[in-house]
Amino acid sequence: MLFCRLATTLGTFDISLDKLSDGELWLAQFFRGLSDGATYASLALALVMIYKSTGFINFAQGSLALLGVYLVYVFSVEQGLPIAVAVVCAMVASALVAMFIERTFIRPFPPNNVLPLVIVTLGLLLIIDSAVGIVWQFRTRSLPSMFSDSAPIQWGIARLTWRTIGNLGAVFVVVGLLYVLMARTKIGLAFRAVSSNLESAQLMGIRVGSTLGFGWALAAAIGTLSGALVVPDLLLEPSVMLRVLIFSLAAAALGGLDSMVGAVLGGLVVGLTRNLLVTFLDLSELALATAVAVILVVLLARPTGFLGTVRRERV
Amino acid sequence: MGLALAKEGSRLHRRRQVIGWVLFALVVVVIPFLIADTYSATIFGNRYTVGLGNLSQAIAFMVAILGLNIATGYSGQLSLGHSFFVGSGAYLTAVLVNDFHWSYLSTLVVVVPGLFLFGVLFGLPALRIQGLYLGLLTFVMSTVFPSIIRLEELADRTGGSNGLLIGSDLVAPSWAPTETVAEWLHSIPGLGARVPDGFTSRQSEAVYKYFLLVIVAAVCFWLVRNILVGRVGRALIAIRDNQLGAVANGINLAAYKTLSFGLSAAVGGVAGTMLAMHSGFVGPDEFGFNLAILLIVGSIVGGVATLHGAVAGGLVIQFVPHWSGQTQTLPGTDIALQGPYGGVILGVLLIAIVFALPSGAANGFRQLKARFMPVVPQAPARSVIVSPDA
Repeated sequence: MLFCRLATTLGTFDISLDKLSDGELWLAQFFRGLSDGATYASLALALVMIYKSTGFINFAQGSLALLGVYLVYVFSVEQGLPIAVAVVCAMVASALVAMFIERTFIRPFPPNNVLPLVIVTLGLLLIIDSAVGIVWQFRTRSLPSMFSDSAPIQWGIARLTWRTIGNLGAVFVVVGLLYVLMARTKIGLAFRAVSSNLESAQLMGIRVGSTLGFGWALAAAIGTLSGALVVPDLLLEPSVMLRVLIFSLAAAALGGLDSMVGAVLGGLVVGLTRNLLVTFLDLSELALATAVAVILVVLLARPTGFLGTVRRERV
Repeated sequence: MGLALAKEGSRLHRRRQVIGWVLFALVVVVIPFLIADTYSATIFGNRYTVGLGNLSQAIAFMVAILGLNIATGYSGQLSLGHSFFVGSGAYLTAVLVNDFHWSYLSTLVVVVPGLFLFGVLFGLPALRIQGLYLGLLTFVMSTVFPSIIRLEELADRTGGSNGLLIGSDLVAPSWAPTETVAEWLHSIPGLGARVPDGFTSRQSEAVYKYFLLVIVAAVCFWLVRNILVGRVGRALIAIRDNQLGAVANGINLAAYKTLSFGLSAAVGGVAGTMLAMHSGFVGPDEFGFNLAILLIVGSIVGGVATLHGAVAGGLVIQFVPHWSGQTQTLPGTDIALQGPYGGVILGVLLIAIVFALPSGAANGFRQLKARFMPVVPQAPARSVIVSPDA
């Protein structure tokens, strides 16, 4: 189907040529792609955190982020705290919720059997999404952003806003902090030990349970931040994070499931693809299909994404 | 506790197996007559229903999960986008019936080979992309299906967002003994009171549809079982358990992997045809991300890599969401549980099921059976035990 559309689009190439030679449109879509990419990257980072520690994908990651965003809403709009403070409070609160969830629902299962955990996280997805709908109803709200929408750099319709810069900056700061945490602190060392070999880590006296709980807390806090970055561009309603989650899953697969830098790279590629390719080939209703095609091509060339670890199997 | 020990293959064991199958067949035959008037029970002030339509849909889901089990359960290829195949089958049937005036069952002639080829094509990238990467790719793919159906170029065939009403009814042929069986059941004291005296045309159509779906499903299960207990099944399981080991033992990895995707897609396509038969309507969002999730849930809750598990899983993914939605009041409180509460109940039930039966319903059932009807396994008759120095 995609090829059909590509062929018809290329047939009417006078329009696409018009678009293609429009430098401002290119730049505008490029900036928009960076902004979207940063938000996909931040949720993908949360997914990578859980994958690194436990080896599975937490399907409830988007829902935890959703809960976090509603907490941001409560702290900032209802309690009147400044938005940056509200985001930090919500990050801490959602980290606590995630630790509780990990302790009650995840830890009872043996960590090496992934299938029951998939169902548990899908169940959590349903519970959290519906509970948010019950508590905050389904009407849409708007959330203030941490960064202003004014543009320091403007060229025709292409605007590089503070929000785009802020979103990108936030993602790079998070990656930097995570790197320092993993490489320089004791808890980071424990975390790396658990993710590389759970049983050996246990034998060395590392508390595996609380280390994994810490991973969940960290992932939830990052997820909340990503929600606070993305939602101001959209509207706050209970299904807002589901769409972001799908693009972030794509980004995580693209970048390599166990690489944080890969997650950022993957997020940016998905964001740019979505905005550039889709605009210039006039594929607006096929945004996801385009993303799938890109992932397919990349994974065919590199089966573990851009930066994922290649696993060698021994018999 | 329990029945006497039976040797596998002994007359006692055989007799028990036959009795079990006869009982199962009896239940399958009698149930549609009992719930032809939608059966309802009131528990704690909530009215729960079991309709024949629900059961028919559950049967279609069983076949869908059966297909998913081939690729994911038996050969270990994490394929989370099974709804794509189910949806393709359903739409293929709908278009053939509507635009080309085929009958429902004859569309299988196109659906099965078509989807098999599609599955094989889909299996080609899966030769290189593995594990969770494949899972994520297929999962994202499942969200693409509705947008493909909505494409303008296809909308006059597929009906776009509005879906497609299939303009053909499944009318029971005159020789169908529905009335006779119903009358006969009606005359049984006790049980008979639940069977309606005379059937409306809608009811007899539903009963006819049910039996049609049961027959299609039985054929699917029988064929898949025959494939999986033999050489092909062993090869797929070997690939799942240890890929390098399988190759070292002379299994053609590429052929078997693509074959497993082809079979999985073909069975999924049949499930799509069955869903189209059941509801007479196909819509783009029925075959999106939600169905993909439900099918994985059904496969795991039922028990991966088991045939019984597909039956249990189909029932679970049909009735658990259905009853979650029907739970309107919580006993002892006056909270009205409506709308989103259904999602909370469903989620809680899913987690509860996994806590109770972490390895799936089929394995739980097997353990229960082993407890009450123990069977001593025997070596196959013609097997020769080779000692290492021979």
